[in-house]
Amino acid sequence: MSTPPTKPAVNRYFGASVTRNEDPALLTGQALFVDDLVLAEMWHAALLRSPHAHARIDSIDVTAAKARDGVLAIYTAADLGDFWRPAPLVVPPPPIPGMVFNQRTQVPLAKDKVCYAGEPVALVVAESRYVAEDALGDIVVDYTSLPVAAELATAASDEAPEVHEGLAGNVAAHVHQSKGDYGAATAGAATVIRRRFTYEHGMAHPMETRGVAAQFDRKTQRLTVWATTQAPASLRGGLATLLGLGERDVRVVAPFVGGGFGAKLLMYYPEELLVPWAARQLGRAVKWIEDRGEHFLATTQERGQIHDAEMALDEDGRILGIRDVFLHDTGAYNPYGLTVPINSQCSILGPYDVPAYDSTFTAVFTNKPIVAPYRGAGRQHGVFVIERLMDIAARELGIDRAEIRRRNLIAADAFPVKHEIMFQDFTELTYDSGDYQPILERALELIGYDKFIAEEQPALRAAGRKVGVGIVCYIEGTGIGPYEGARVQIQTNGRIAVATGIGTQGQGHFTSFAQIAADWLGVSAREVDVTTGDTDQFYWGAGTFASRGAVVAGNAVNQAAAAVHDKAVTLAAEHFGCAVTEIVLEDGVARRSGAPDEPIGLGDLARLANPMRGAVKPGTEPGLEATRYFGPESGTTASGAHAMIVEVDPETMMIEIRKYVVVHDCGTAINPLLVEGQIHGGVAQGIGNAFYEQLVFDNDGQLLNGTLADYLIPTSLDVPRMTLDHTVTPSTRNELGIKGVGEAGAIPVGPLFAQALEDALELPSRGVDIVEIPLSPNRLWELNSSEPSSTSDGD
Amino acid sequence: MMVKLLTVSTRVNGTDYKRVVEPRLLLSDFLRHELGLTGTHVGCEHGVCGACTVLVDGLPMRACLMFAPQVEGCEVMTVEGLAPRNSAPRNSAPRNSAPKNSTTDGDLHPLQAAFRDAHGLQCGFCTPGILMTLTAFLEANPTPDEAEIREALSGNLCRCTGYQHIVDAVLAVTRPRDGGTRS
Amino acid sequence: MELNGQQRIAAPRQKVWDALNDARVLKACIPGCESLTQDGDNAFDATVQAKVGPVRARFSGRVELSDIRPPESYRISGEGKGGVAGFAKGGADVTLIEDGDGTILDYAVKADVGGKLAQIGSRLVQSTANKYAADFFARFGDIVTGAVPIEEEAAMAAATAGGKQAIAAARAVAPADDKNTAHLRRLNWALLAIIVALIGFILLTD
Repeated sequence: MSTPPTKPAVNRYFGASVTRNEDPALLTGQALFVDDLVLAEMWHAALLRSPHAHARIDSIDVTAAKARDGVLAIYTAADLGDFWRPAPLVVPPPPIPGMVFNQRTQVPLAKDKVCYAGEPVALVVAESRYVAEDALGDIVVDYTSLPVAAELATAASDEAPEVHEGLAGNVAAHVHQSKGDYGAATAGAATVIRRRFTYEHGMAHPMETRGVAAQFDRKTQRLTVWATTQAPASLRGGLATLLGLGERDVRVVAPFVGGGFGAKLLMYYPEELLVPWAARQLGRAVKWIEDRGEHFLATTQERGQIHDAEMALDEDGRILGIRDVFLHDTGAYNPYGLTVPINSQCSILGPYDVPAYDSTFTAVFTNKPIVAPYRGAGRQHGVFVIERLMDIAARELGIDRAEIRRRNLIAADAFPVKHEIMFQDFTELTYDSGDYQPILERALELIGYDKFIAEEQPALRAAGRKVGVGIVCYIEGTGIGPYEGARVQIQTNGRIAVATGIGTQGQGHFTSFAQIAADWLGVSAREVDVTTGDTDQFYWGAGTFASRGAVVAGNAVNQAAAAVHDKAVTLAAEHFGCAVTEIVLEDGVARRSGAPDEPIGLGDLARLANPMRGAVKPGTEPGLEATRYFGPESGTTASGAHAMIVEVDPETMMIEIRKYVVVHDCGTAINPLLVEGQIHGGVAQGIGNAFYEQLVFDNDGQLLNGTLADYLIPTSLDVPRMTLDHTVTPSTRNELGIKGVGEAGAIPVGPLFAQALEDALELPSRGVDIVEIPLSPNRLWELNSSEPSSTSDGD
Repeated sequence: MMVKLLTVSTRVNGTDYKRVVEPRLLLSDFLRHELGLTGTHVGCEHGVCGACTVLVDGLPMRACLMFAPQVEGCEVMTVEGLAPRNSAPRNSAPRNSAPKNSTTDGDLHPLQAAFRDAHGLQCGFCTPGILMTLTAFLEANPTPDEAEIREALSGNLCRCTGYQHIVDAVLAVTRPRDGGTRS
Repeated sequence: MELNGQQRIAAPRQKVWDALNDARVLKACIPGCESLTQDGDNAFDATVQAKVGPVRARFSGRVELSDIRPPESYRISGEGKGGVAGFAKGGADVTLIEDGDGTILDYAVKADVGGKLAQIGSRLVQSTANKYAADFFARFGDIVTGAVPIEEEAAMAAATAGGKQAIAAARAVAPADDKNTAHLRRLNWALLAIIVALIGFILLTD
């Protein structure tokens, strides 16, 4: 058998804006989400959560709760026996020399103390969620409250209350990375910009909250778990280990999932362990669905970092070096290792040529919910720092902010670019391919940058209008390993079955992967049934995160489909008694080109491939099926620029986005329509992050705005119509040249807002910099009314 | 503890139902778990996100803010009542080798088909609520412009799409000559 | 949440101080106070049932006194549990200053709520606290000056517990609650009332 080619002969679907296979089910309300499940004899769970951010548990009295009609069981930590233990680390930290890492991971139910408000303390299983919640009210817990380490900067001091005993200064990790020699490189710099930046990223808030349902079949001794997880295969492995079951006896299904964005990625959420455990314990099916109020506390989120950053430049505005020291709030536990702060650390380099870089961070425990990736996963923080430093430098040097970027963008012939520091995927941070200047120019052109600054803005300002323009650039490391796999099979009914280990939370995998297979096998994309997130259908995988689904799983699908194509044409050639090169797969059949032979349907061919009798050639595999795995050597670097024109109402400080432009490069696109959707959605979340969303905790670690009425997710009135364009520099890390795009829209919006709003309110000319995100009408008012130099220096 | 139960008689998607329920049963839970109509989704249970929007006597209502007994004698429409036929298999188009987008699929209401054509949904969780809001809105305002559409949508949160393709879908179905359907 | 202010009571300072030490007076002034028992010299246990419109809930708390300098000042601190809806804790520094034939009661309160109450109701606590404190002082003033006998005041307190708060509640745009809608909404609003009742209680207990 010859090596399969990397591209099919005909390219009908790949690259086309095909409408989605999964839409009819979703649009008609027929798609199955976890809460839609009805299992035989299903009971319902609810969790009692600590109202205290830091407290000792003195006693738990469940007597009254157990006595309530309709309550089946109540569990506390003491009831879990050996099952109770801190969860394993999801992501071990990369092996960075000199790193300090203090692992403290979450437990299924709090034992002697609680470390954040919302931490689970007891599990109730009852005949309905209503009764279960009634029972929660019957449970009496005696707490002794302990001093709380809430705010990031104060939690980092040695005098702060210890979230975990023995860790002074609440040090979760301390990491230093550098390249070049900052001191030497920046001696004699024309300008050094120093600022303190604070950046807070919020909560993902997918429209579907989390949920788990589990059923243990005593007869087959198999456990089936339905979960909203983004990593079903990983969850399967963990559950099997923790429950003492064989991996093959556990099936995890992530059905349709209503959005993830990182919030459904943590392993192991307490509920993901407790519900299956309880189901096995009780011999009953158990279902738990999170409500939105719980979600605010119980689901992972990103929060803040404080950066003391400086950038040294020469008189032409070329970067000589960057030095940064930052604190990172990791919450009460750190199961996700260092992914978020390392992304921040690496993102500060941006798309620019930075000869010397010195970066140190301390991750700090606080008595608040766990911090784990949310769309962007820490890149936002880093991009804010570099983009703001560029803007401030431009101002101080008298250079236009687009121009200073031009002067520093990595040249097109410099790739691959190796940065000598370690990225979240344990490899050296490398940009594989890219061409940044055309992206910047196109964005400037689409926003009408020159004309706006020269003519429109002055005219509008003369009329008393507060309008500003912003332009920011970014790169995004995507498509990281370790690997994904896919199986492609031509079924005897002629339909193609594709299965892969990742899950889907709206990204369109049921269509994009179908497109890849359809081209190879000469069928309509509608005839390809893709299954994701079912560990019985596909056993191995890592999960959907870090903008890697299309890149990694997509390439695995491509290789598997190519292999099946090869098997099909080989078998068809035998069937027709001709050469393989004469076989064409199209319209669902295999035909001998240029000959009058009756074509054979793919289904019939598949039947031929599985003989029930007779001898086969040695080395033959049955069926027209292939499984392939793809693991990239390293991540692949997407890039882009965002530009915006915004107007601020001088009385209310409410904003109106007049124009929003995104130019991005995600390499080859499987389905441009889906790519657009990803960018739109990302920008919407970025707008929320920049101006509307903020988690407000008080000094006792209490979340004060834990409803959607108080935590403001952008509506259709807050997100503008966007103009999109793209450039293509194919990835060098995979055959299809794909780069990820899932997080691109969300990443640079913070600094874009800071720049454009500063411009609109003419703050810099009054000595005021915007060095924080999120903003808000209130905050703009304060900044606009503040005295000069009241916000700047970070020394 | 004796809980007083109430009988609720209501018509949902043209079918009459009579059930005995606790007074505090939310309409959203009644539809989803009592009647098995799981197309209506629950996003927040505090009336903000709009995912649970259904039509009660033609008016869009948050099912999470109503109790089941409150629809006694009412006509309720959920997303399952939109399309002419209830169930749609995952890939419903017939064998077709040409990679053109489907226009109105026979199993879908024109609004649903427009959403499919414009990629107006990603995870689909907020979609039923949005479809019901729009159904009532378009009844009252059959040819809205973009600003009116965005206003009408402002009570429904979507975290995936950024709303643009949703607006495109509505423009396409209401103003087919001006609207932006994908080609 | 902080609540600072001064209230003039038309009664001599010693009389005001004595009233603050009188459990009967306090019980009468705190709307919905079901029980108030002294535990030793410097602590009180209380159960308060707040009624906001047709909605009712019970809140149990304990307060302790310290830095007592009669008849001038003291510090009071306490914590109260509200079950699934959360808790409240806080403290106050109270000073009585002679002012002619009357007394100025100066208070500086710091109180925090936690759990659901903070998550859902935090932005309403301050305004409700203000209203409740005003209500409390009006009653206290009436009793101390002898304008209204204790028994009548107590009856009024029980009957109108949270009456004004009910109106405020109906007008405020409160987000709907979760599954136990009626139950929890009850608890939330009642707890807001209770917190403030407790704060008022904290202010004036001896």
